[in-house]
Amino acid sequence: MMLTRRNRLSKALSELTASRNAAVGIAIVLFWVVVAAAAPVIAPYGPTEMHDARLQPPSLQHWLGTDHLARDVMSRLFWGTRVVVALAPISVFLGILMAAPLGLLSGYVGGRLDMLVMRGVDILMSFPTLLIYILIIVTFGPSIAVVVISISLGSIPPITRIIRSLVMDVRTQDYVSAARLRGERRSYILLREILPNVSGPIIVDATIRIGYAIMAIGALGFLGLGIPPPTPDWGGMINEGRQWIFAMPWTVLAPAAALSSMVVGLNLLADGMRENAQAR
Amino acid sequence: MLAFLLNRLGTMLLTMLVISMLVFVIAEVVPVDPARSALGPYAPQEAVDDLRDRMGLDRPAPVRYFDWITGIVQGDFGESIHYRRPVGDLVAVRVQRSLALAGLGFAFMIPIGLALGCIAGIAEGRVQDRVISFTSSIFVSVPPFASGIFLIVIFSLWLGWFPGVSMPDPEAGLLDSATKLILPILVLSLDEIGYLARMTRVSMAEVMHSDYIRTAVLKGIPQRQVIWRHALRNALIAPFTAIMLHVNWLIGGVVVVEVLFNYPGLGRLLLDAAMRNDFTLLMGGTLVLTFVAVASQVLADVGLYFMNPRIRFERPA
Repeated sequence: MMLTRRNRLSKALSELTASRNAAVGIAIVLFWVVVAAAAPVIAPYGPTEMHDARLQPPSLQHWLGTDHLARDVMSRLFWGTRVVVALAPISVFLGILMAAPLGLLSGYVGGRLDMLVMRGVDILMSFPTLLIYILIIVTFGPSIAVVVISISLGSIPPITRIIRSLVMDVRTQDYVSAARLRGERRSYILLREILPNVSGPIIVDATIRIGYAIMAIGALGFLGLGIPPPTPDWGGMINEGRQWIFAMPWTVLAPAAALSSMVVGLNLLADGMRENAQAR
Repeated sequence: MLAFLLNRLGTMLLTMLVISMLVFVIAEVVPVDPARSALGPYAPQEAVDDLRDRMGLDRPAPVRYFDWITGIVQGDFGESIHYRRPVGDLVAVRVQRSLALAGLGFAFMIPIGLALGCIAGIAEGRVQDRVISFTSSIFVSVPPFASGIFLIVIFSLWLGWFPGVSMPDPEAGLLDSATKLILPILVLSLDEIGYLARMTRVSMAEVMHSDYIRTAVLKGIPQRQVIWRHALRNALIAPFTAIMLHVNWLIGGVVVVEVLFNYPGLGRLLLDAAMRNDFTLLMGGTLVLTFVAVASQVLADVGLYFMNPRIRFERPA
């Protein structure tokens, strides 16, 4: 059992790396995951450690210089990777967890329930997402948990809609009718027959959504509503360094480039997965 | 047509009603006393109680909601706690500036995004396609707050072409304001251009493979005419829908761009209101912004109705 699972994983990986997009995407994402894991080892200093001089240009001691509180920018960049690498997938996962029951039931049962759920989804989706985040964060105060929850709540309507449409595509398939005729319970049909067959596109969508979540965490940090300082966070670093952009461009260029590269990696990975799914 | 329009307007009304309730409930949950935050932490308790009384804060929530919403229907959004001025006046000025920014952004991004997508879709698999596809997949991955940093460093710091802030100066001439707005519009448009180009490319490529285009080509109609008269109209329906679904994304971009370039629009007003716990302003502004979003979606729906004969001649379900 274990062996077949590992085989399947390695097969999926080799299939993925056959697409150049996906290979580049995986490399970029892996790079940042490694940086996040190894931050304590590779970061020259602690993320909140203060040094002798503030706003220093790049030097041998401080490769990316120091910020307005005399902290080492490169160390903060590396430690900040952890926030993004951990929080973005968690918030997407929470969103899927909350949206999946809605989407599965709505797509499978149809009828009035479906109409009601979709009405709700439409209404919430016409509400600007950034405003949802701002309202939730202002209400409960900025903290890591509130940022994660607001992003996952904001992703419920679109994920529900996608899962629902995927379910509607497969619910008329023979294997679903067969399970129904066998007298299987609805929960069995949904979880064991339908869910495994729609999980591929859900994973592709989740990959793109992790990119969105990274951008959202960054945007909130940029607006001063993200992870509270002094925790190193890329968006927050851009926000703090913005005032000195003309004197110290590298303090904001570095986190902006890091964040963009990570989203590029995730999008390439998603493109590659989609190409593979189409080729099959 | 009338039934379609009524349906859309009904949905819009329902949406605004639900959103207004949501916003009201969120403001209720916040553990901030509006009277206290209006008067500051050092005001005596009697003064706060007095203001609470005058603001009617001790009445039950449904009554206050009803009061608030009937006021808004009549154009009265209440008074901002921080600015001590009617919310309607504050928002009206700002919403015009934000709409100007977003409108200019649209005027810039839509033709470019569509054109790039069409070129790539027609040349599917060739060099033009690969260059455009690569560029647009980079563009969609760079959020406005990051692309803003890159563009400011390149164009303001290194090249010195445009200023890095866009505070509109009422004294300045039109040309001066225009150069101030170039960077913000570019930042606002970059990821949208990528997104639009990608959507249009897929749609165009699909249309170019369809039977009716092959028929047109085989009939000997020149390529240019096939594209302009036959393919384009069908290929543009999908990206049009995509823009419509992207209005909310664009609003996020507008907020970020306003903060980045110090542009006094509605987004920055709302953010400041949120930071200062100015809830009458935050609630009113949120409703206005949501209304803009929902109304533009309805407008887009109507546009789509005229563009796509398949909707127009569909039998009502």
